[in-house]
Amino acid sequence: MNNIDITKDEILAVFPKVAETVADAIGCEVEKVKLESSLIDDLGAESIDFVDILFRLQRLFKVKIPRGKIVEEARGNLTEAEFEKGGIVSDTGGVRLRAFLSEVPPERFKSPLKVADIPRLFTVETFCKLVIRQQRAAAAAPVIPPA
Amino acid sequence: MRGHFRAFSFVDRIASVEGALSVRGHYAIPTEVEVFPASLVSEAVGQLAAWAAMAAVDFSHRPVAGIAGKIELLSPVRPGQVLDLVVELESVDKEAVGYSGSAHAGGVPVIRLSDCVGPMLPVEDFDDPQLVRDRFHLLRADGLPPGGFGGLPLIGVDHYGGEWGDSTQAVLQVPMGAPFFDDHFPRRHVFPGTLLMHGNLQIAAILAAEVSSVAAEGAWVPRVVSDVKLRTFISPGEALDLKATRTRLSETELEVTVESRIGPRLIGSAKILFVREVSS
Repeated sequence: MNNIDITKDEILAVFPKVAETVADAIGCEVEKVKLESSLIDDLGAESIDFVDILFRLQRLFKVKIPRGKIVEEARGNLTEAEFEKGGIVSDTGGVRLRAFLSEVPPERFKSPLKVADIPRLFTVETFCKLVIRQQRAAAAAPVIPPA
Repeated sequence: MRGHFRAFSFVDRIASVEGALSVRGHYAIPTEVEVFPASLVSEAVGQLAAWAAMAAVDFSHRPVAGIAGKIELLSPVRPGQVLDLVVELESVDKEAVGYSGSAHAGGVPVIRLSDCVGPMLPVEDFDDPQLVRDRFHLLRADGLPPGGFGGLPLIGVDHYGGEWGDSTQAVLQVPMGAPFFDDHFPRRHVFPGTLLMHGNLQIAAILAAEVSSVAAEGAWVPRVVSDVKLRTFISPGEALDLKATRTRLSETELEVTVESRIGPRLIGSAKILFVREVSS
């Protein structure tokens, strides 16, 4: 699943609810939550807030969002060994990450980049795209009729 | 370790597990304790959820207190009553468990928890995984006789000031040692989040007593604790600065926000909704 064909209109359609969810989870005014806001560096989110946000988005949009989904999708068909070594994102992994997180300004991608620091890159738009991808996945899933 | 599985354990039996996501259990409140506050009823529901979550991941991980969307305080309980506990797991994996649950006593609803989330961490960081597994099977089989919990520990909450009717502040001193640490947890002593919730209710009640309203009849009764979040573990000996602030007031409802800090760091927060009730 990639972000290439996600349109700005789609992002803006989910943004108000995502922004309100982020604001409620972090405990800040919704006016502070912009599409380009970094959850950690701009809004002060901690790891418990990420867990909170994912569960709230699941309930609100009625989609499943497994933890680690963003990094898993950024990695795509790269193996873990190709994506990172010793907790540091590889050059190949970095290219893939920058392409996937196209909403993040290039200067925010530090080198070397620790895998543990990837969440520092996430913005509100990152989560808008996550919701859209999960909505599309749910819509495309085959419906299994009851036995 | 005397307190292990006794001093702060509030599930006597796991009666049924349906499809790994719906669990029922019981806890008999010891007759000898003076009180059994709502925070410990909440703990009982949370512990049943923890057992279900641990079983779902084959006891590799266990949840820790994190988030409670809403805790409805429906009615008090008395020593000697049996709590009928029900938990529904929304989802569970090695990262986190989402759940809701409730407790009844004698058919009367006591507490309802919604939108709770517990981050999952390796069991071995907190307890012996085999002992935990064995305990689960015991609870699923014959269960345990009542007793073990010796009563609410004395936790100092020193109220020291604020702005009358608007805010109030207190220090909650976490003891260096207490029986409940043997149980919560043997390999890592952590101050239970529900005991912080109890402290929050205490300081919020102090502020509520200061708040007057146009209709002066009746008393403020806490009915909902919401937006509960615990951001880090609280260790023995920590001094927590609690601040309760009035955030909304009407003739019939009072909302208080409580923040808990260690130094400048925010470590917990919750909102408490009081309603004005006239005793008959």
